[in-house]
Amino acid sequence: MPAASRHTGSTHGVGASFEEMRGWRAFLHLARELKLARLARLAYPYRGRAVSSIVAMIVVTGSTLAVPYLLKVAIDDGIQARDMAVLGRVILAYLAVSLINLGASYLQTYLTSWVGEHVIYDLRRQLFAHLQKLSLDFFSRQKTGWIVSRLTNDVDAIDQLVTDGVTTLVTNSLTFAGAVVLLVVLDWRLALATLSVMPFLIVATLWFRSRSARAYALVRNRIGDVSAHLQESISGVRVLQMFRREHSDYDRLTEVSGAYRDVNYRTVVQSGVFFPFVEFMSTAAVVIVLWYGGHLVGGDALQIGVLVAFIAYLDSFFDPLQQLSQLYNTFQASMAAVQKIYTVLDTAPDMQDAPDAIDLPDAHGEVELRDVSFGYAPDSPVLHAVSLVIPAGRTVALVGATGAGKSTLVKLLARFYDPQAGSVLIDGHDLRAVTQRSLREQLAVVPQEAFLFSGSILDNIRFARPSAGDDEVKRVARIVGVHDFVEGLPDGYETEVQEGGSGLSTGQRQLISLARALLADPRILILDEATSSVDAESERRIERAMEVLFSGRTSVIVAHRLSTVRYADEIVVVDDGRILERGTHAGLIAAEGRYADLYRDWEATGAAL
Amino acid sequence: MDTIRRILELLGGYKWLTALSFVLAFAQMGLGLVVPRVIQLTINNALLGGRPGLLVTYGLALLGVAAVRFAVGVGRRLASGKVSLAIEYDLRNRMWAHLLRQPFAYFDRWPTGQLMSRAMSDIQNVRMFLGYGLVFFVTNIAMMAAIAVILVIMDWRLALLSLTFLPFLLLVTLRFSRRLNPILKDVQQRIADVTATAEENVVGSRIVRIFAREDDELARFSDRSYRVFEASVAAARTRAVYIPLIAFIPNLAVAFLLYYGGRQVVDGGLSLGALVAFYSYLMMLVSPARVIGWLTGLAQRAIASGERVYEILDAPLEMHEKPDARPLRGVGPAKGTTSAPETGADLSSSPLGAVDFDGVWFSYGERPVLRGVTLSVPAGRTVALVGHTGCGKTTLTNLVPRFYDPGGGSVRVDGQDVRDLQLADLRRHIGVVTQDPFLFSTSIAENIRFGKPDASEEEVRAAARTAQADDFIEALPDAYKTVVGERGFTLSGGQRQRIAIARALVMDPRILILDDATSSVDAETESRIRTALREVMRGRTTFIIAHRPSTISLAEQVIVLDRGRIEEQGSHERLMAAGGLYAQMFGDAERHGCCLDDAGGDETTDAAGAAVGGVA
Repeated sequence: MPAASRHTGSTHGVGASFEEMRGWRAFLHLARELKLARLARLAYPYRGRAVSSIVAMIVVTGSTLAVPYLLKVAIDDGIQARDMAVLGRVILAYLAVSLINLGASYLQTYLTSWVGEHVIYDLRRQLFAHLQKLSLDFFSRQKTGWIVSRLTNDVDAIDQLVTDGVTTLVTNSLTFAGAVVLLVVLDWRLALATLSVMPFLIVATLWFRSRSARAYALVRNRIGDVSAHLQESISGVRVLQMFRREHSDYDRLTEVSGAYRDVNYRTVVQSGVFFPFVEFMSTAAVVIVLWYGGHLVGGDALQIGVLVAFIAYLDSFFDPLQQLSQLYNTFQASMAAVQKIYTVLDTAPDMQDAPDAIDLPDAHGEVELRDVSFGYAPDSPVLHAVSLVIPAGRTVALVGATGAGKSTLVKLLARFYDPQAGSVLIDGHDLRAVTQRSLREQLAVVPQEAFLFSGSILDNIRFARPSAGDDEVKRVARIVGVHDFVEGLPDGYETEVQEGGSGLSTGQRQLISLARALLADPRILILDEATSSVDAESERRIERAMEVLFSGRTSVIVAHRLSTVRYADEIVVVDDGRILERGTHAGLIAAEGRYADLYRDWEATGAAL
Repeated sequence: MDTIRRILELLGGYKWLTALSFVLAFAQMGLGLVVPRVIQLTINNALLGGRPGLLVTYGLALLGVAAVRFAVGVGRRLASGKVSLAIEYDLRNRMWAHLLRQPFAYFDRWPTGQLMSRAMSDIQNVRMFLGYGLVFFVTNIAMMAAIAVILVIMDWRLALLSLTFLPFLLLVTLRFSRRLNPILKDVQQRIADVTATAEENVVGSRIVRIFAREDDELARFSDRSYRVFEASVAAARTRAVYIPLIAFIPNLAVAFLLYYGGRQVVDGGLSLGALVAFYSYLMMLVSPARVIGWLTGLAQRAIASGERVYEILDAPLEMHEKPDARPLRGVGPAKGTTSAPETGADLSSSPLGAVDFDGVWFSYGERPVLRGVTLSVPAGRTVALVGHTGCGKTTLTNLVPRFYDPGGGSVRVDGQDVRDLQLADLRRHIGVVTQDPFLFSTSIAENIRFGKPDASEEEVRAAARTAQADDFIEALPDAYKTVVGERGFTLSGGQRQRIAIARALVMDPRILILDDATSSVDAETESRIRTALREVMRGRTTFIIAHRPSTISLAEQVIVLDRGRIEEQGSHERLMAAGGLYAQMFGDAERHGCCLDDAGGDETTDAAGAAVGGVA
């Protein structure tokens, strides 16, 4: 038997150390580690129902355990004593107990599920709400699938635990405990005799638990591998076919699938041996009881009824053991899920309103970066002491090579991140001193990739201002040029946008994104231009839309298109995290500096169309 | 019904093991039925009958039975486990093999998520049913029948009395599962809704923040989550009613048994041992009855899943390779091949790469995209395809490697209809680069050699150098061994495109298709790629789809497509002069002073400067 050890290598994580511990100590350690207390606290608002359900469980257990006892009385005091009246009364008692059991079972199942499902609902909401507060840094570090998995798969994994799992745990534990007590009360000598099978059972259970925990964890990993492989291969099936890699991919799948099958079979072997063994031990216990009990009965030291009841109670002794062992695996699966969920919940939101934050007053729109330094990783700065003042109402284009820091600069302007040194100010207010909500109401960002939600085109534009009426939305759409192509669509504005982008071209999506920004009518607009090229027609429409968008507000554009520069009052050249040049187009061209070079390159590629 | 038959037929591949598991299951059940009988005998003969010596005998017999039962139980689980896992393995492989042979059009219709759920959870549902569901189903029914028979033999009047509850119990159980299943399906659907909302919110988290819509999003999500709660509670309520009811019904029977059976024991018509046995057997009926309900649900799920799985397996292959398909026949050694032909068959490895489109028609569903396109591209020529979005450029090039088949007309390579050729061989000679290239989560080197797994390191590097990717790859921590993230997203769009170009080049294909292949690459890098490509394209038939005049300028011939037909064709200069559609599309280039030939700098700068000077 593995010795208990608290100091197993931490690389193995909670799972391994748990296997090596025993019983209650293990459970407590686990509970602490897994913040089961936190999970239980979620049930606190429903404590009325929770307590009622536990009372119901106790009643159910009690009534179930009462049955063999009634049977004993029926046999000894009724049948053997030839007293039909007693028999009649016992049977009535039996029916009464069964009815109580029925009612209590209903309550137990319903209430436990109600509380459990509500806890799940609360947890989901809590997780989602927390995600809304987390900084964008978190989202860029994690894969979408990972984050979504927390909200869906992991919460679902806990579902079984908090509903059926709790019931099984409580009722089986109570049944087991009750059965032990009753067995001792009925005849302590027989009870002792029965205990002789316990050592074997304990060994077997421990063996099974540690082995199966590891095996099931492996199964979860391997099925994850299969899933990941298929996911990737299906997504890239066209590329597989393009490059004639069908055979090698198929071989790879059979490999991964085979590994899963083999590990799964290991769990089959483990349970295949364990559960029949427990059954064997329970029959062995019956034999022991029959031998010893029979001997006692023969010597008139025991009534037959007691013996019969005892044998009946053995079921209530072994059955819970089997159920609890099966529950253990469900528990393991939920363990991993709880850990992951709380990892997210414990991530502190990076960006919170300062306690004395004020609302940004109606901005004129002057934007300033004062000596700003920033890096995504603390030791690799992207911006070095950048200072820049953009007067209200101006349109400024940021240009520079890829990786120069343009996009980073505008992210700081929009307060997606806070600078590590220096400050970002709007109308003289440091962004960290104003509420995020007030900032968002006056500042809009058009990102590089036009992200549209599932819903109609109208809904997507209206996302900027839900209170806007249809007319207002359509007016904006017309200005931006969305109206032209929408009219050509069969469902018009009600056309459903698919997240996958099917249906609308890149250019059209960009236009919708611009319409959305226009509807927001911000004082300050930040636009990170899309890099992918579109056909000339769309290009023209987008240009016109941008022209409209920039007028009447302070606009800061990260420009990739030569044509966009036309609309700027001023151009700022960013290089290697610093501002290199600044001025009007004509002025910079004349200066024959970096801008002039860039411009010539642009022309050569005909990036302007 | 048909589906259940097909699912059962899957067991056919494992006849012996399946038969063994059934035999063992029946043995296990039979042995289990012996136990109450032995207990009965013990009580009657050894205890009441006053023959304590028999205790040892009966005890040993019981132990013997238990031991055999143990062995049988283990054997059964191992056998049925092996069979069901093997079937899962087979089904998944078969499904994937079948899918791999389906063409692009098939995957245009099937979202990844749908295929995934069929390959994963649906197959697992079938396995679980075949693994233990089926065996339990059969043995439980047999057990109930056997117990009924035993009880009748013991005392038919008592048996009749006790068994009246049985059909009633079964009915309730079946009704329960019929009630519960639609509710459970509803729960699943609502959970799917929550997942979709969550996904959207995470992907669009930036937009949500920008427009300060966090509260609205939370409200929307809460709504959907609450619906899951409601449906789950409805399911719980159903369970809370039926499951205790199902447990209660046998209790009624026991009450009757105790009363009438008890009276019979008192009157001497029945032994106490028999009564106890009766009671035990009656209790043994309860769990099978309960389990039947659950098993019916399992069977229903298996059938539903089976149907979904067979939907994929039965789907006819939408693109066929003819049984007598030939490899692409070359007409002579092409430029670039190094060694002299070793055997006559080597001719097939050096096609010229001439491509002919002959009256090609193509529609996506109802919408015609190509209307009778006829085009001849001689070997080694570089053509550019231009036109508005949706005019058919990509569709046309997709026909060459036979990713799609035309609805009318034909596509020929070196005079051979592509439908007569072996797909693998045809595609070996065609390299494709798309606008949004898909890279696999393996090393960059492996990605580049994707089309030619035996390419040497030098070949990989050479291709990367031409694609202007070598520099940034070397700058990465693990250089060529760097593992690309899922779908290649840890690299920038431009980097992915360059790797994709290298991937196509390494195959040394005779035909190259570049579909907007440099759209995400910045101007400077693009001009370097252009220079390199100019070399590479010599001697290769190249199709370029692009929007930038600089890229289009690589082509010797420009084809302008409009509404599925060729509007104009010719060289760039001639088309500009012609003043037609092409000139219209790219005319602004002149206004912006964009030069495709090396014109003087001042002139263009002034023109551009004048345009920019007038600021909005």
